[in-house]
Amino acid sequence: MTTETTKNNEFQDPLENYDAPTYADPLERALAEEPVTAIQTHPYSTIAPETTVDEALHKMAGNEIACLLVADRKSKLVGVFSDRDVMNKVALEYEDVKDRPVSELMTGDPVYVFDTDTASAAICVMAVSGYRHVPVVALDGKLLGIISPQRVTHFLCEHFSNE
Amino acid sequence: MSLQQNLASETVDKLNLREALTIAPDRTLREAVMTMRNGNLGCVVVVDGENKPIGLFTEAMLRLAICRDPCCIGAKVAEHMATVYPWVATDDTIDTVLEAMEAKNHRFVVVVDGDHRVAGLTGQKGLMEYVAEHFPDEVMVQRVGTKPYPVTREGA
Repeated sequence: MTTETTKNNEFQDPLENYDAPTYADPLERALAEEPVTAIQTHPYSTIAPETTVDEALHKMAGNEIACLLVADRKSKLVGVFSDRDVMNKVALEYEDVKDRPVSELMTGDPVYVFDTDTASAAICVMAVSGYRHVPVVALDGKLLGIISPQRVTHFLCEHFSNE
Repeated sequence: MSLQQNLASETVDKLNLREALTIAPDRTLREAVMTMRNGNLGCVVVVDGENKPIGLFTEAMLRLAICRDPCCIGAKVAEHMATVYPWVATDDTIDTVLEAMEAKNHRFVVVVDGDHRVAGLTGQKGLMEYVAEHFPDEVMVQRVGTKPYPVTREGA
């Protein structure tokens, strides 16, 4: 941070002229200032890359979830397997793919957000990337959870009704 | 106006509506899946002869159907569609979409015109896009992890 001095060599704090952002309503403030972890990120389900497509599908159906996070032995996120992958790659080819490892059909290198990102940043990731389910990771890469539109909707409704 | 005020006052036609994919009830799940794949959309609206919605078939229903019976892909859509589904009119306010999704965890919401004919589709992604528009700074400087943006969108 650079220091600034006046003509008299007195220190002038550059943050003196800082104007804190103003928000039109508590909903905007919550989205802009609260971290993504303020949105529910748990529970989430993970599977190993070698899990078969059939096992993954049954896990999704049994737990009534639309997305599984694929993590390696070090709990590092390597992919996402979701309803969209089932629709695009499994539904019409089931007998041919059911015993294959999910790593061959998952969406690899998924988009994600850090737990320090704001709720609005996470929503923008969803909007721009087009992916509904976005994993949340720590700065060291550790998988922490997942956000989904359902959880974002709940967050919006929570702050909506508080007005 | 604030985001909350906009949600309560702006109408559904202000959302980025998708063109709904439609299918007749006597078509098969295979045809429904092909339609969804080609349209890059996670649901089809089942319509009658007047293009009025009578049901909804989504990728979530597909997942359950395949899991129960992988051979169901040849069954008729009418046997697996949801006959109770959320819908809004084009002149309803956006918060009605929010309420529909929050109440029943619906992913897609059918939009109908004044004659109750299918006018489009909205839902979770449409809502996310609408909220994101209120935070243009976040959109402009977005860092999507450390990976480059995907080449193609996933779709609705």
